Amino acid sequence: MAGRVKKKREQTEYFFDYTLLFVILFLLGFGLIMIYSVSSYEAYAKYNDAAYFLKKQLLSGILGLIAMIVVANIPYHFWARFSELGYLVSAILVIMVPFFGVEANGAKRWLPIPGIGLTIQPAEVAKLCMILFLANLVCSMGKLIRQPRGMIFLMLTAIPMVVLVWKLTNNLSSAIIILGISVFMIFVASPDYKLFIILGAIGSAAVGGLLYYISKLNMSDLEGFRFKRILAWMNPEAYASDVGYQTLQSLYAIGSGGVVGKGLGQSMQKLGFIPEAQNDMIFSIICEELGLFGAIIIITMFLVLLWRMMLIANNAPDLFGALLVVGVMGHIAIQVILNVAVVTNSIPNTGISLPFISYGGTSVLFLLIEMGLVLNVAKRIQLREA
Amino acid sequence: MQNTRNRFANRKKVLVIFLACGGLLMLLFVRLVYLMVWRSDYYGAKATDLHERERSIKAARGQIVDCNGVIIADNRTVCTVSVIHNQIENPEEVIRVLSRELGMPEETVRKRVEKYSSIERVKSNVSKSVGDAIREYDLAGVKVDEDYKRYYPYGDLASKVLGFTGSDNQGIIGLEVVYEEYLEGKAGTILTMTDARGVEVETAGERRIEPVDGNTLHLSLDVNIQSYAQQLAEQAMKAKSARSVSILVMNPQNGEILAMVNVPEFDLNDPFTVTVEGGAEISEKEKQNLLNQMWRNGCINDTYEPGSTFKVITAAAGLEAGVVTKESGFSCPGYIIVDDRRIRCHKNGGHGSQDFVHATMNSCNPAFVSLGLKLGTERFYSYFEQFGLLTKTGIDLPGEAGTIMHKPENIGPVELATVSFGQSFQITPVQLITTVSSIINGGKRITPHMGVKVTDEQGNTLETFEYPVQEGVVSEETSETMRYILEKVVAEGGGKNGQVQGVRIGGKTATSQTLPRSEKQYISSFLGFAPADDPQIIALAIINRPQGTYYGGQIAAPIVRQLFENILPYLGIMDYNEISEEKGEESVSE
Repeated sequence: MAGRVKKKREQTEYFFDYTLLFVILFLLGFGLIMIYSVSSYEAYAKYNDAAYFLKKQLLSGILGLIAMIVVANIPYHFWARFSELGYLVSAILVIMVPFFGVEANGAKRWLPIPGIGLTIQPAEVAKLCMILFLANLVCSMGKLIRQPRGMIFLMLTAIPMVVLVWKLTNNLSSAIIILGISVFMIFVASPDYKLFIILGAIGSAAVGGLLYYISKLNMSDLEGFRFKRILAWMNPEAYASDVGYQTLQSLYAIGSGGVVGKGLGQSMQKLGFIPEAQNDMIFSIICEELGLFGAIIIITMFLVLLWRMMLIANNAPDLFGALLVVGVMGHIAIQVILNVAVVTNSIPNTGISLPFISYGGTSVLFLLIEMGLVLNVAKRIQLREA
Repeated sequence: MQNTRNRFANRKKVLVIFLACGGLLMLLFVRLVYLMVWRSDYYGAKATDLHERERSIKAARGQIVDCNGVIIADNRTVCTVSVIHNQIENPEEVIRVLSRELGMPEETVRKRVEKYSSIERVKSNVSKSVGDAIREYDLAGVKVDEDYKRYYPYGDLASKVLGFTGSDNQGIIGLEVVYEEYLEGKAGTILTMTDARGVEVETAGERRIEPVDGNTLHLSLDVNIQSYAQQLAEQAMKAKSARSVSILVMNPQNGEILAMVNVPEFDLNDPFTVTVEGGAEISEKEKQNLLNQMWRNGCINDTYEPGSTFKVITAAAGLEAGVVTKESGFSCPGYIIVDDRRIRCHKNGGHGSQDFVHATMNSCNPAFVSLGLKLGTERFYSYFEQFGLLTKTGIDLPGEAGTIMHKPENIGPVELATVSFGQSFQITPVQLITTVSSIINGGKRITPHMGVKVTDEQGNTLETFEYPVQEGVVSEETSETMRYILEKVVAEGGGKNGQVQGVRIGGKTATSQTLPRSEKQYISSFLGFAPADDPQIIALAIINRPQGTYYGGQIAAPIVRQLFENILPYLGIMDYNEISEEKGEESVSE
């Protein structure tokens, strides 16, 4: 690696992050293998084609890689001019969902793309546009960012999108991710700590209070039904037949995997016990088939990914580049943490996919576009200066 | 300058974010370790529970063999036909083929086929040939499982003794019930992995817990003796238009039962068909009653008034108490007055003056009444207890009836008098033969039984049954006197028809009335044993409600005579060429 970097330096004087690229390709390839392993049985039963999901994901992956290469070769400042437009377009797409959206798995979250028979999830578009929008906004704010006033202004620009995604597509998970990305970027942009610590403390207290209140509730209460997911989180076995089912099945998968796992392809839980296991619950099947060792490899890969992005952000030639990378880093970090937390029943169940690995075309396509941005920021790092 | 400072602040914050995320991932990793190491067994077991489906494999029920190793209860392979709803591809064809091959109405089959369940049994106990034929069609969703069914090669032989099994191969009556734990074996299981829809996962393989077959039960019953006795009983029943005939053959030395016949018998391979008349338009309840009647083992489940055969017991009590000896004199004017009752002797003019031996040979009622009165209620009753008459014999067959006897405080002189010659109370045939056995075998109260031992498939003995024997029920001296007297009864007295040339036979006849007496129906019986001086075999024949001649000495004694004539040489007790009185012990006792 080091030798290669030296060689590059002589040739182009610019940096290309091969480690990051390797990790991306590894996760993508691993994801495809796991999607085939997890979905083939059900896909054969349903569509008479064991590779049904694999083929669709492969297509998205190839499209995404092409997009990533294109984006990685366009100087990232080019995108700054589209930041407001992007915000607007993604907001419009989200608003269109209740009217033109198509349903899948009981939720209306997808928009059909006319002509080619594919669908797109506007929430994924919104994540990317939010990153671009906030990065550009911070840079144009100048010194205002150092005042609480500026921070509140930034927050207020992010909130509408969060509410739109949450309410119109009925997708709390994506709303939380967009909010999380915004908080991450504002946190990095602002030199302040105190305000964030206070906000964090208030937030934790509120969550703690709410949980205490819910745990005291009876199921007979009207309130109780609304918070059933949280009660099921506290005791999934008591709700095994309804809201606790998926969580419990996920725990069975993880627990039965043990240290070394059952072996690739040997999962029992994927045989319909965990419905649509190739989506949000894919990590539990990875644990079942590959055991603790498989889980270690995946978590380590994501840590390396985050570490590389931290290095790129901290060496980016300007604040705009750094904030773009931070946004992407926040996006991936939040999804990985929440996904693993959900499948291990560490937090209440909410549908969050595992980046690069879970089945989902829009998600993979936009994640790879984001990685293209990161790679381009990395390319702009001038090694002589560093 | 300021920009640079700002960039430093930004960098620090990015590091904070990275460390925070890394920390959270580490916490989640710890959670994973907890789930996958500490809780692995718990969740793994729960998951296996969820994935595995159990199918049981029936164990073959143990065989029942007679004393010579002849198999009298066996197993035959039969098939169970089931359908698996969501694997059926062509329901109409399945319905057509199954209803035709199984001979079932189409609607019935349709209901099973169209029922939404994981697996639905269409018919069990289908013969192997039909099962194979269905398998030939190779219909998707139709499953033919092989299974065992009880099979009795001798049909109705000893039906009420052996008993039969139900649909789950469990014993329902007779020995099949008593020895259930030895015969049933242990069912095995096939554990197969299934997906969430219940479809078996072929690549996952299966775990098998092999069934353990039941063990072989060895009986003291002898198929040859049983068959011959049944033949005799059937002849007698036909000839005398009797309601039923029972024959019991036992070894009086150890209680091993060689034959127990109760005609009419029933077909063990078809035990649920009522053989008595009026079968068609009866209700379920009536049918069950008739079946229960048909399955009853008269030797054990039913009591009767023994009549004169009971005089053996009265005589033994009298001898044991010392109130009578062989030489004691009795006079019979043809009746005896007890209180205000006049009890008649069966011989109108009376037997006149006679000693005790002749009184027994004549089966003289007044003589035995006076003997009973001499004994007195208390002493007589205590001998009943001593002989074991008042408790059940403990035979290894279900549903033994107890003795129905007056309470001692209710026995007045009249009751005492009637009990003395075997009336006004009831006992089971097996009780009678057991009590007489213990009187003539030297005073050992033996336990009548069928089960001898249990062996495994390789023939290794797993358990040899032991039965309680109570010594000293009567003295050896009394026993010897009784053998002498009872030999006289057959040689010169009322049991003449029980004589077998070349063998010393002891015995006693009886003719008693069924209740109510106004019906004028009788029970004729004869109890005989051989050789008279060292009894190796004892037989009791009871004819229930014979028409025409009903005297035990005339119709029951010949049955035992014919039986003995045929089985004594077979058992080695009698040798036609060399008349011997001392041999044969070996061949009988085991």
